Amino acid sequence: MATNRSTEIEAREKAELATEDTRTGHVFRPDVDILEHPDAYVILADMPGVSEETVDIHLEKGILTMDARDGTDSPDSTKRYSEYRSGGYHREFRISEDIDTTTVSAQMRDGVLELRLPKSVASQPRRIEVSAA
Amino acid sequence: MYTLQRHTRRPTWSFRGLDRLQRQTNQVLRASDATPDSRRGVYPPVNLHESEEGFSLTAEIPGVTSEALEVSIEGTTVTLAGSRKPQHVATDETAVHRRERLNGTFRRAFQLPAEIDLDKARATHRNGVLTLDLPKSPALRPRQIPVETP
Repeated sequence: MATNRSTEIEAREKAELATEDTRTGHVFRPDVDILEHPDAYVILADMPGVSEETVDIHLEKGILTMDARDGTDSPDSTKRYSEYRSGGYHREFRISEDIDTTTVSAQMRDGVLELRLPKSVASQPRRIEVSAA
Repeated sequence: MYTLQRHTRRPTWSFRGLDRLQRQTNQVLRASDATPDSRRGVYPPVNLHESEEGFSLTAEIPGVTSEALEVSIEGTTVTLAGSRKPQHVATDETAVHRRERLNGTFRRAFQLPAEIDLDKARATHRNGVLTLDLPKSPALRPRQIPVETP
């Protein structure tokens, strides 16, 4: 199982997106985890190399868009060996449930974007007490 | 052209044998290839840059905290080791819709193409990227020799 502590991480190449806008450089599709708690969605996205000020998050008409620009400067030296490319990240999701957009929070830590999307009160599961007649 | 050599990759899952063989083949084929490529299977992915003063080795390790990271240098061998733990624990009430990010441990060793100045080596960790600044040993750095007129 991937969550097992003793597992060695299997590397995968970052998936590059075909960009349709005018920005230059590579744009990758970040690996994500999406967890749904009873009261909120939590999305974790691997975006190594970008800093928080370049991250743009939009939630409109049930579509969540995450976008980040490349924050790394190309060093003033000769590339000797390369296994990864730097670039921005982009990914979109459809969120079917109502999100309380006023309390959405996002933070970047060690190259991972963590988004917390609380469900609106109306869409949270509720226990209905059955009372005896 | 310089190449990195890797070793100390321990095979863990025997049913991954085929995958590993493929990987090793790729490594052999691409060992002298300095262009971005579709290398798979070794974590973390690294880039190596060289200037007159030294080398810069960068590795993409999103989600790995500085505390879970170990960098050591012995002679010309650089070793990166560490682990990535799940940031969110799923409870019984949690539904997992996507689980693409991998957790686990890693260890990779590299042979640098030249001696470095160990005392001046520095490691920084920012935005999920580890950067090792490895100045070359003073004896290897280019030097301007002033020409004296007698």
